[in-house]
Amino acid sequence: MLELSNVTKAYPNGSVALNQVNMSVERGEFVFVVGASGAGKTTLTKLLLREEKPTSGKITINGKNIAKLRPHEVPYLRRSMGVVFQDFRLMPTWTVEENVAFAMVVVETAPRLIRRRVAEVLELVGLTNKHAQLPSQLSGGEQQRVALARAIVNKPMLLLADEPTGNLDPETSWGIVKLLLDINSTGTTMLMVTHAKQIVDTLRKRVVELESGCLTRDERCGIYHG
Amino acid sequence: MVKPRTFGYFFESAGKSLLRNSWMTLASISTVAVSLLVLGIFLVVAANINAVAANVEGQLQVTAHLATLSAAERGRLEAEIKAIPGVTDVRFVPQSEAWQRLLEWYGDNQDFLAGWEEENPLRDSFEIRADVSHRVPEVAAAVTVLAGVEEVLWGREIVEQLLAITRMMRLVGIGLMVALALAALFIIANTIRMAIFARRREIGIMRYIGATNWFIRWPFVIEGLVLGLLGGMMAASVLAWGYYLAVRALVQAIPFWPWVQPWPFLQQLALLLLSIGVVIGILGSGLSLRRYLDA
Ligand SMILES: Nc1ncnc2c1ncn2[C@@H]1O[C@H](COP(=O)(O)OP(=O)(O)OP(=O)(O)O)[C@@H](O)[C@H]1O
Ligand SMILES: [Mg+2]
Repeated sequence: MLELSNVTKAYPNGSVALNQVNMSVERGEFVFVVGASGAGKTTLTKLLLREEKPTSGKITINGKNIAKLRPHEVPYLRRSMGVVFQDFRLMPTWTVEENVAFAMVVVETAPRLIRRRVAEVLELVGLTNKHAQLPSQLSGGEQQRVALARAIVNKPMLLLADEPTGNLDPETSWGIVKLLLDINSTGTTMLMVTHAKQIVDTLRKRVVELESGCLTRDERCGIYHG
Repeated sequence: MVKPRTFGYFFESAGKSLLRNSWMTLASISTVAVSLLVLGIFLVVAANINAVAANVEGQLQVTAHLATLSAAERGRLEAEIKAIPGVTDVRFVPQSEAWQRLLEWYGDNQDFLAGWEEENPLRDSFEIRADVSHRVPEVAAAVTVLAGVEEVLWGREIVEQLLAITRMMRLVGIGLMVALALAALFIIANTIRMAIFARRREIGIMRYIGATNWFIRWPFVIEGLVLGLLGGMMAASVLAWGYYLAVRALVQAIPFWPWVQPWPFLQQLALLLLSIGVVIGILGSGLSLRRYLDA
């Protein structure tokens, strides 16, 4: 469902973030993307979201070359994906419920459906009793669970997570990872960028490693450092 | 395409933004209102000058003083004048009638005219009317060259002054309108720019979760529209109220002056001001959206 062939990304300032990357991901897979700081991991997620365009090469999602999308088609690409970031990116003045519902408002779902579905995902991430709180009244792990609820509320086929546990302590991180595994087990393809060695080594999922923009390792049941 | 239902969200979003930046909101509404009010006052004055001009022009006529002519010669001349394009009416005024008019004009102060009676210094004349006032100069020129006509008089100064005033009003008016519209446009654009900055975090999230550009833009367009509309409404109500009172007072002071009546003039004026307000509002927000929002 996801395929990169000879993808190169050079930023306007000349730095080459990705260099001739080839990889393909099947529907329902769980993939860790690892690599040192500056290796190009975030750039990879930006290309998939079409926040950046590849300098050369092809990125195919569901048979469509997304480098060729016209600007007005980009929102529809993004609706097929969910994203979570290290810094949660929640609206500080909105309640948990409003933050999650917003993703459905934006795609113009009927209010009745929004209420039902938001309740459903808040239950899934275990925040039903905190639905009326503001992000500032929640712990980091809880905030990330809100972000996760928002990312999956529209049932995306692909979930991108860029260091989702980067700001969390190990125990809280495991809570998030368990949720990601649950989501993945319902058929959502998962791409998780991470520096969390312990998590990668424990789960033994597919591991893709980037080194200065080059894909140097792709293992079926990998560990953090090969 | 955005679903109609979603406009509820857009209006709510625009309303929140307007309330959050209440000072900016107030400032832009007032600027729009003041600009449109000045424009409105200008239009009111212009309309009244036009009314006066039309009134005066409607009364304009060409007076041709004649040489001493036989009845036959006079008849031929009258036919020639009637044949000039634009001439609607030709009336012969014998010198005796002219003298009577002079006496009436001076009323009680006619003593100094005594003694002239016998050798009436006035001449026979034709009073000529044109179908439209702007043809008066043309008609006057055509009459001047006819045989038997000694002198042609018409309200040249009045017509030319009125034309000059109208020209100047138009020039000043256009300049004023452009300047004020720009000021209003600028302040709305600035308000929307601030609204965009206040919500850039939200906009960033919207992009990630797949909001279309129009979904992101609409609340700002509505915000600009509301600012323009409210400014226009304020200007229109102040102007309508003010003019209504002014005309009521003026009609008593100068009863026979051709004041433009408040109805339906004010209704048209209000509609115009509201439309201009809306256009300025939408344009202003459009400017900022182009500059600060499009990726
Ligand atoms: N917008 C940009 N303009 C120019 N260079 C950039 C830009 N974004 C990233 N880079 C460069 O591209 C390279 C890869 O950056 P990227 O953010 O993808 O790394 P990363 O693997 O996500 O690192 P980290 O683990 O620290 O998040 C770096 O050398 C970085 O300096
Ligand atoms: Mg990164």
